[in-house]
Amino acid sequence: MIRFNQVNKTYPGGFLALKNVSFHLAAGEMAFLTGHSGAGKSTLLKLISLIEKPSSGSILINNKQLANISYRQVPFIRRQIGMIFQNHHLLMDRTVFDNVALPLIIEGYSQKEIRKRVDAALEKVHLSDKQKCYPFMLSGGEQQRVGIARAVVNKPPIILADEPTGNLDPALSLDIIRLFEDFNAVGVSVLIATHDLGLIARMKYRTLTLKDGNMITDGLKDGLHSEPSV
Amino acid sequence: MNKSANRDLTNKVSLGQRIMSVPIRHLQQAIGSLGDLWRTPFTTLMTLLVLGISLTLPATLHLFVKNANNVVAKWDSASEIALFLKLSVDDKAAQNFASRLALYPEVADVEYISAEQALADFKVNSGFGEALAYLNDNPLPATVLVTPTQRSSQVNAAKALLDKLTQEREVDQGKLDLEWLTRLESMARLIEDIVLSVAFLLCLSVILIIGNTIRLAILNQKDAIAVMKLVGATDSFIQRPFMYAGIWYGLLGGLFANIAIFALAYYLSGAMSDLTNLYGTQFKLETLSFNENLYLIGFAILLGLFGSYLSVRQHIKAIEPSAD
Repeated sequence: MIRFNQVNKTYPGGFLALKNVSFHLAAGEMAFLTGHSGAGKSTLLKLISLIEKPSSGSILINNKQLANISYRQVPFIRRQIGMIFQNHHLLMDRTVFDNVALPLIIEGYSQKEIRKRVDAALEKVHLSDKQKCYPFMLSGGEQQRVGIARAVVNKPPIILADEPTGNLDPALSLDIIRLFEDFNAVGVSVLIATHDLGLIARMKYRTLTLKDGNMITDGLKDGLHSEPSV
Repeated sequence: MNKSANRDLTNKVSLGQRIMSVPIRHLQQAIGSLGDLWRTPFTTLMTLLVLGISLTLPATLHLFVKNANNVVAKWDSASEIALFLKLSVDDKAAQNFASRLALYPEVADVEYISAEQALADFKVNSGFGEALAYLNDNPLPATVLVTPTQRSSQVNAAKALLDKLTQEREVDQGKLDLEWLTRLESMARLIEDIVLSVAFLLCLSVILIIGNTIRLAILNQKDAIAVMKLVGATDSFIQRPFMYAGIWYGLLGGLFANIAIFALAYYLSGAMSDLTNLYGTQFKLETLSFNENLYLIGFAILLGLFGSYLSVRQHIKAIEPSAD
């Protein structure tokens, strides 16, 4: 689903953020991406979401070579990736419902379909009763769950989460990760960037570790593997 | 979430649905952008006033030219051709000639002044009355004053008519007061040019005002635009509400200009009728016709669309999401 081949990323000014990174996240696989601040996690996610371009090497998303993607095609690639951010990136002047509906409106779904899917997505994250609220009326954990509902509402094959549990307490964090496990269980590829090592240790999923732009481990914690569902 | 549907990744929206959703989405975005304008009433009103005034000025100038043309058109005796006949032509032949001229299609009116009458007039008007009595012969020729039709009274047409008439056997000399005509025409052209260039500048300012207003709106929405890009919105989806805002600005600004011109014309027609009463002439100030009002609004909408397009093309692409 996501394949990196010897990817280097140098920012203007000469900072080498990623060095020769290669990995493959299979369809239906769930993995953590970890490393200290500045190790290159955000850069890696930005490359997948086409916010940045690699300096060299190739990236394939859903068997599409990103180097061949034109500016006009970028939105259509992004629709296949549900992105979740630490600070939610919600539209503050729109209701929870409108926020979650955004990807569907963009893709041109009918009103009826939008209502159905948004209801289902909000139910999944236990926010059905907050549809008419504005994001500032919600707690941090609730806002994060709105962000997750928006990311999954159009049923993308890939979910990308950047520090989704960054501001949450351990119990809430676990709730969020359980949500991702549910999506993973129905065949969605999930990549979660986090520096919450305790959480990773408990979950026993494949972990990609970055250090100073190098991929230093690509394996499983404790040698255990949860079966990919597909 | 429906588990079985989760792997259904391709062709999520059918073609029919896609086509059906286009007008609905346009309508939603059009109304949405009107709502955005409504949410900042003071700023919107100020912008609309500026736009309205910018549109009122060229439209008023147009009104001025239109009314001035009406006035000028009434001076159909604007050019008069004086034909001085040869001294050898006797009175009868001259009268025949005059009545023949009256049949020309270019000629509206003919006035015949006999040699005797010309002398009598000259005696009265010149003050040489006594001195003229010493002359044996009448030195003045008979004269035919020809008034061309309105169509033939323009400089070139009048000149052509003059050439044609001076070739007549009976005519010794023809005279057309061309200078006055030329001056009037060039003056009219100058005024029209001034009106056109001022109108052009004002239209340019309308485009720039709308472009700048839309630019500020885009910058205000920068974060939201970045989010929309991240969830897969195309540029055309993002820019549509701003284009509609440009259309609304044009439409409302045009309506404002219509009202302003109507009020202005109403105000001026009072003063105008006082003036025309003094001159004892009938003159009615014409306002914009219904069609002209529509043209004004349509034109304003086009300007608004163009202004917002310029802004949108430049700024939407420049906003790139950052995942921080």
